[in-house]
Amino acid sequence: MTDLITDADLVRLFPGQPLTHDSAAHYRGRLERRLLINRCTDCGTWQQPPFPICPKCWSTAVVPTEVAGTGTIHLVVFLYQGPPAPGVDYSTPYPVATIELDEQPGLRFTSTVIGAPNDDIVIGKRVTLDWIDRAGTPLPVFRLTEGAAS
Amino acid sequence: MSTISSHNPMKNAVAFAGAATTGFVAKNSGRSQASLAAQACTDVIKACGLTAADIDGICGMVPSPPEMQTMLGIPRVTWFDNPVMPVVNAVAVATAAVFSGLCQTVLVYHTPYRLPWNTASSLQDPFRGIGMPAGSGPGPESIFGGVGYTAWASRYIHEYNVPREHFGLVAINDRSNAARNPGAAKRTPLTMEDYLSARMIRWPLCMLDMDLPVDGADAFIITTAERARDLALPPVLVNAVTLGMVEKNQEDQTPSLRNHGQQVVVDALRAKSDFWTDGTDIYFPYDGFTPITLNWFENTGWCGPGEGGQFVEANWNAEQQRILIDGRIPVNPHGGALSEGGSQASGHIREAVHQLQGLAGERQVAGARTALITAGGYFFNAQGLTLVSD
Repeated sequence: MTDLITDADLVRLFPGQPLTHDSAAHYRGRLERRLLINRCTDCGTWQQPPFPICPKCWSTAVVPTEVAGTGTIHLVVFLYQGPPAPGVDYSTPYPVATIELDEQPGLRFTSTVIGAPNDDIVIGKRVTLDWIDRAGTPLPVFRLTEGAAS
Repeated sequence: MSTISSHNPMKNAVAFAGAATTGFVAKNSGRSQASLAAQACTDVIKACGLTAADIDGICGMVPSPPEMQTMLGIPRVTWFDNPVMPVVNAVAVATAAVFSGLCQTVLVYHTPYRLPWNTASSLQDPFRGIGMPAGSGPGPESIFGGVGYTAWASRYIHEYNVPREHFGLVAINDRSNAARNPGAAKRTPLTMEDYLSARMIRWPLCMLDMDLPVDGADAFIITTAERARDLALPPVLVNAVTLGMVEKNQEDQTPSLRNHGQQVVVDALRAKSDFWTDGTDIYFPYDGFTPITLNWFENTGWCGPGEGGQFVEANWNAEQQRILIDGRIPVNPHGGALSEGGSQASGHIREAVHQLQGLAGERQVAGARTALITAGGYFFNAQGLTLVSD
């Protein structure tokens, strides 16, 4: 399905995002609601952001690979003002969180956390991947993991 | 294996011959960056007793070196460069260019300017908005740029369990110092109550935690120490200069508060310099965001991790409402990025040069002979500079 999405389509669907030949597969994955992160098929090292070579073994056999979508809040900010975005109302400070993914220590992905009051969105809490719609395209976001100890 | 060593063949061989500033204003000045830069550049060239024909190197961002050469009628240059901020980067390459013989006398300049994304009022100047397409950013779900420091401020609070008042003391210190700097943009006294009630921008940082967008320019002459000794002002020698960066340097991938560019700068600058914290007369930690300053205190070795705020409290002069380390060493005596104005470290460097030349007016530190500057933040812009009087 997303094979039919051209590079020009990606640029139109993801305005302002850092699209290159190295990141395009990640954004095609978003259209299928799959969070793809580059992984080296020779040594298994994950990398963020997507580069065309493994920083550990210099293999170029780097493949965008789906992650489990579970992790822990490592950094969090609440924006009292910010860039305009559909569905984002800064009258309630908008959370932006960097999530440390379970796949590898230090492997992080930044988005927002939905479905919880801001007081509950704190560093150390466990989260799970979810998806929302942003101007017609899927946006990977996170929810607090129910029942998880922080 | 570490590649950091004490090797520093250009130590004290290259000097600042002078520094000049327009002073900063926290409003749209009605002037172009070229106009501001021209004022600072011609002032510093004249103050050193030089002419345009003596300049054979140009180093700055805006206006570009080709534009600067044309604007000032500099006849012939053998080297020019346009390095990214902060400004210790420009000092590093200009010093190396002079030491290596690429040129002999470099004009270095920096032009802080209120850009359209800094403040809403910047956009009221139509010229500043040109070329800035609306709504072209990546959206709010990112910590790239300035948001990154806010994100790591949350981590700082989480790991060390410190109150926001520790950030507030950094802001108050800058404001108290700026009161003695006629070129500073904000000089009215600041209290902790003012700080705690200031508008939150991105929790945990408020308006007073972030550097002040200003219009202005700084300019410097960097030349051989030998030539500087023949010019009009006392030379200030570059003892050591360095940049620092680690493998994971994106804002959200940076390893930790104890493993980023600042630690590299500290290791290299300390190895290459003749003095460190116990030998400096003035300290200039970067303060583009208040937690950067606390992190610099900790990484430079003034105190341990997470102890930056306690260190400031222990060295606080209540009467003067500012930091005096050991009752003696002022911190950002010009008012820093938070009160003089956000200059991407050009203000820190200019103040250090003026202090070591004895030209700092009513804020002159008596007998100052050494200055330690730790500029920039965590990710891809940590830098360090040690200066000594001749």
